[in-house]
Amino acid sequence: MSVVVDIADVKVSDDPGVTLITYSLGSCIGVALWDPEAKVGGLLHYMLPESSLSPQKAKKSPAMFCDTGIPKLFRAVYELGAVKKRLVVKIAGGSQLLDDNGTFNIGKRNYLSLRKIFWKNGVLIDAEDVGGSISRTVRLHVGTGVCILKTRGRETPL
Amino acid sequence: MTTQVLTEVLQRVESLPRLPDSSLRLLKVLSEPNSTIAEIVESIRYDQTVTADLLRMCNSSHYGLSRQIASVDQAISLLGTAKVLQLVMAAHMQAMFSKPQEGYGLRPGALWIHSVAVALGCQIFAKQWGLAEVGLVFTAGLMHDIGKVVLNEYVASEYAEIARRVADEGISFLEGEQQVLGFTHPDIGAHIANQWGLPEPIVRCIRYHHEPESLSKPDPLVDVVHLADAVCLVLAIGGGDDGLLYRAHPAVMERHNVTEPNLENVGADIILELKSVQQDFNVN
Repeated sequence: MSVVVDIADVKVSDDPGVTLITYSLGSCIGVALWDPEAKVGGLLHYMLPESSLSPQKAKKSPAMFCDTGIPKLFRAVYELGAVKKRLVVKIAGGSQLLDDNGTFNIGKRNYLSLRKIFWKNGVLIDAEDVGGSISRTVRLHVGTGVCILKTRGRETPL
Repeated sequence: MTTQVLTEVLQRVESLPRLPDSSLRLLKVLSEPNSTIAEIVESIRYDQTVTADLLRMCNSSHYGLSRQIASVDQAISLLGTAKVLQLVMAAHMQAMFSKPQEGYGLRPGALWIHSVAVALGCQIFAKQWGLAEVGLVFTAGLMHDIGKVVLNEYVASEYAEIARRVADEGISFLEGEQQVLGFTHPDIGAHIANQWGLPEPIVRCIRYHHEPESLSKPDPLVDVVHLADAVCLVLAIGGGDDGLLYRAHPAVMERHNVTEPNLENVGADIILELKSVQQDFNVN
């Protein structure tokens, strides 16, 4: 069964039959977590780097921002029995428009914000596909941890 | 080759279902900054489908209204003209935009979601900038990519060549359309809007939404649509294989004093409002 993760949304599951899927990552970043022992998976699709932009919106929709969405994602997989040191961490997204002179660089700032949080918390990235001007779709199969990246109709393992 | 394709495309435009008369009347009324509620009501009162859709959406649990809405007048006075316009126009465009646009790699419904998101963004910018034409830019935003509906299959057959040029030559998807097909989705969109008799400012917004700098004099309405589209393209809201392969025009931000946090806030507002529209229409 497919469970769709919308923009500014997070979903977790311990059902081995579930595939978490998020479509259309542009400057947004998708973060996929998987614990191979607990067979627990989680997927976040956040859109903006920092909740200080609007604490009110962050309260309403924590998954909208990197610095509130990532803690929410980790907490949610821990609740299902995942353990931090076992987690496989994969990320995708962070694109930008052409000729970007720093006016629309949300993608790059989204990526930097994630790196900062991961560095502070000692989280390592196992695989990533970021940047460019493409839109990406990410699927995570909860039973096997297989993570598939789809761009322009082509699928590759992430 | 190009002339032949253009002839075919224009024939396809002819055969597109036209907007119902009531929608055209509504569009024209709402494009007038000074239109009155009575005029708006008048333009849709006699259209059963529109009225039924509107009342169904107003009475959905989403609004949690304590009493049943039984007329268009009540709907407008309770929800406000902007919300009624959103509901009615978005309902009109849903059928046309909901098919998969495979040429652009768009999932079923994705073009509609993108269009509604851009329309919401237009509304937000127009209000921030104090423009009178809020209804007009909402509609222009909703229709800015209408050309993709017709151009879709031609792009599908030429996609590989467009994608190759985009990758090898670093051009935008729009420039790829121009080089390979000889015309672009805004060209065809403006042609459709003309055929439908839409107001000229809407036609201009559609035609120039990717190239606001090509106008001899900047047009704030075009700028609104360009920026709202740029935000939705960056965030890939309802995005396709053409992804973010379009050019940003920082001059537009500069002349309206739009800052990056401003854009991010608009993006966040679009998503929050879009979620509520999706509930209204029961789509995801």
